[in-house]
Amino acid sequence: MISVRAPGRSPAIRVERRLQVASRRAAASRIIGLLAGLLVAGIAIQISGRPTLSLAREALDATFGRRIGLEETGIIATPILLDAIAVAIGLRMRIWNIGVEGQFYMGAWAATGIGIHLHAPAPVLLTLMALAGVAGGALWILIPAIARAYWNVNEIITTLLLNFVALQWVAWFSIDVWRDTKAAVVQATPPVAARLPLLGNSLILHVGFLIPLLLAPVFWWVFRSSRWGYEVDMIGGNPRAAEFAGINVPRRIISVMLLSGAIGGLSGMIHVTGATGRLQATISNSYGLSGFIVAALAGASFFGLLAGGLFIALLLHSGIVLQGQGLSVYIVLAVYGLVLVGIAVGTQAARYRLRVSRESVVSPAAERAPP
Amino acid sequence: MPAAIPTEGEPARDPADAPSDGVVVRALGISKSFDGAPALDGVDLELRKGEVHALLGENGAGKTTLSNILAGIYRADAGAVVVDGEERHFRSPAHAIESGIGMVHQHFRLVETATVAENLHLGWQDTPRWISRKKLADRTRRQMGQMGLRVDPNAFIWQLSVGEQQRVEILRVLSRGARVLILDEPTAVLTEQEARDLFGVIRALVAEGRTVVFISHKLNEVLEVSDRITVLRDGHRVVTRETAGATPRELARLMTGEAREVSVEGHREPGRQPLLEVVDVTARGSRGLVSVRGVTLTVHAGEILGLAGVSGNGQTELAEVVTGMRRIDAGRVRVDGVDLTNASPRRFADAGVGAIPEDRIGVGLVPSAPVRSNAVLRHYRRSELSGGLALRRVAISEFATRLVASARVQTRSIDSPVSYLSGGNQQRLLVGREGMLAGRVFVASHPTRGLDVNATADVRASLLAKRDAGSGVLLISDDLDEVLQLSDRVAVMYEGSVLGEFDRSAADRERIGLLMGGHLEADQPEPAPS
Repeated sequence: MISVRAPGRSPAIRVERRLQVASRRAAASRIIGLLAGLLVAGIAIQISGRPTLSLAREALDATFGRRIGLEETGIIATPILLDAIAVAIGLRMRIWNIGVEGQFYMGAWAATGIGIHLHAPAPVLLTLMALAGVAGGALWILIPAIARAYWNVNEIITTLLLNFVALQWVAWFSIDVWRDTKAAVVQATPPVAARLPLLGNSLILHVGFLIPLLLAPVFWWVFRSSRWGYEVDMIGGNPRAAEFAGINVPRRIISVMLLSGAIGGLSGMIHVTGATGRLQATISNSYGLSGFIVAALAGASFFGLLAGGLFIALLLHSGIVLQGQGLSVYIVLAVYGLVLVGIAVGTQAARYRLRVSRESVVSPAAERAPP
Repeated sequence: MPAAIPTEGEPARDPADAPSDGVVVRALGISKSFDGAPALDGVDLELRKGEVHALLGENGAGKTTLSNILAGIYRADAGAVVVDGEERHFRSPAHAIESGIGMVHQHFRLVETATVAENLHLGWQDTPRWISRKKLADRTRRQMGQMGLRVDPNAFIWQLSVGEQQRVEILRVLSRGARVLILDEPTAVLTEQEARDLFGVIRALVAEGRTVVFISHKLNEVLEVSDRITVLRDGHRVVTRETAGATPRELARLMTGEAREVSVEGHREPGRQPLLEVVDVTARGSRGLVSVRGVTLTVHAGEILGLAGVSGNGQTELAEVVTGMRRIDAGRVRVDGVDLTNASPRRFADAGVGAIPEDRIGVGLVPSAPVRSNAVLRHYRRSELSGGLALRRVAISEFATRLVASARVQTRSIDSPVSYLSGGNQQRLLVGREGMLAGRVFVASHPTRGLDVNATADVRASLLAKRDAGSGVLLISDDLDEVLQLSDRVAVMYEGSVLGEFDRSAADRERIGLLMGGHLEADQPEPAPS
């Protein structure tokens, strides 16, 4: 308990930790934090001499006012949501897979390798590419998984460092090994031979958008009702107790991390076959990082991350629009950061309450009888 | 304020070079309670210049609390600490050491990744603001030379043996000018030879006029190294006396108190069928030191075998061995005749071994998870609770509801996290869950430690019920009253070995107290036939 109190006998305001936090209160607190972040950002933009309200209207209009705006948001949301699911699976076991960005890259790379070298009917080719993406992501986390499971090597460091390797690897293939010599674009491979179909009658949004929307409820069920999910949750809560219960902890660590990596890899494959059509050195707009933030802020809740991921995608899309309107990329990033900080503060604030107490405050020293 | 401390024995031996009566520190009427539970109640203590003063007592007697007050870590609720005739109110350990009182804790407080020299100078006022690594090492060597304690100043703490780390701790306190050095259970982590070396250091320190407070429960060590002894029991001072002339038997009696009423509720003749057999088992603890040495024990059907002993004498490791949580180096473990040596926790559970781990929250339960999940933690693989892939959620709810009712767990709902339950209700849940497993063997480690009266009664009733149902119960406890009250047979563990085994009818409180302190006597009775 943190006490902020005046000396003597005056009433005191105390910050107390709540024993239980109702989920509705937690959600409300997050939304208040989000709005506070937006408010601070708006005031800052206004002070810097730009009309905040009209900028906001423009951003909202560009997203909601046009059909293509919503579809663009969906394209951004797809990898963010998938990566958030990947991270959330690890978080259920207190495994921090910071390397989802790298797994995204390696999934995209492996899928592209199939897509530009094999010739097969589209459904067959897409299936093979999906398998390659899954394998690429899973292999990219294999070493961190084994190291964590058997030697307790911190996965935050290992997965983070492999991100940089993956980035360089993909850059090398994009601008050298697989470079498209026929096209004018310099930093990309030739187009992959099969693309994901569009969703219904949409203009640009592909069916990959449905994958995270389907996977989230599946994993919600897995962690609510399956034996595997129960065991993973118990390991996350207390690994010693899980061991006492006879659960093979190292094996579960490996399976959870490989699954997380596989979904990260799948997100890369979907982005290549759905959005970009080819591998580029900068194929990820930090989707893995955004997904990571979403999963952490959602507290590894699979429905919470759907809401959070869609919101972040909206924010990023607005940022792209506003950059088109001449707003500096730094301001856009600052708005993004302020909103995330607001949500994080709101999450924590829900756990505390303020209380005014009128009890007298007497220091223990004053109570002690003089010698 | 009390005027004088009643002590047995003579005044200080060297009044010439001591202020007045040679007393450096006097504690008067110290009381301290934690959350309403009294840990110390009006304790007096006087420390003389140039003496080794032993603080003797069982776990929870108040030795460490009293030392922590002297060293400025806790503040007393009542009473006074007088140093050199002046009353002091220490706000912090640093404040206490200004008055010359320093403490070396049982668990060292060193920075493992820093060197000896760096640790010595960390947080010390005399440390220069800018200094080269070499000069730091030189300063350290100079300090070591003055104190007669030697460790490589440039070695990292993690490279040192436990004995060397302790030397660094002692040096740290002495270099800050401590005249009174408090050592909390200093030999608990040491090997035999390291303990010998430590005694040499202690003698050298008192020879140059310092005072050493030596906290221990080991009678032989206390008799060997100390000049005077203060015995604490249940937060009270029992006596302060000269060590010369004290006998282990007398000290054991003072430590453990007179026997309280022992009820023989529902006691019956134990069966002869061995359910848990531990044969010549040797195992190492987490630090890699041998902590179970050639232990042989048998628990029969329908009996409670009480394993008495002060904590940290290998009981924890033995309990882990017979539940599959620790591998052994030698020996065999059998459950109902089936060899389960180094089997997994799951195989022990499947063989009908239930266990109440000593660390309930750290090993037995998942505090962040709801009661429902914890209730089935050791049962969820049963076919009525889960199919191949999915859990049977309705059956699990019913199972948890039944367990909560039968174990008398008070909880708002089976969906409340276990961390919201009181300690007593957490233990009721754990005991109920493990009792369902314990068709053959029930291993209970300190099952009532820290519980209130009602929860204690419930837990004890569960153990007796298990025994009456024909299971073999291994009760590990450092509460001698509990062991004597519940057990059909009693064994004593000391430094990894079983020193004696008695039928309850032959169990003599005083003799057990002696064995708990590691004191073997020639007139020790024959071990009970088993």
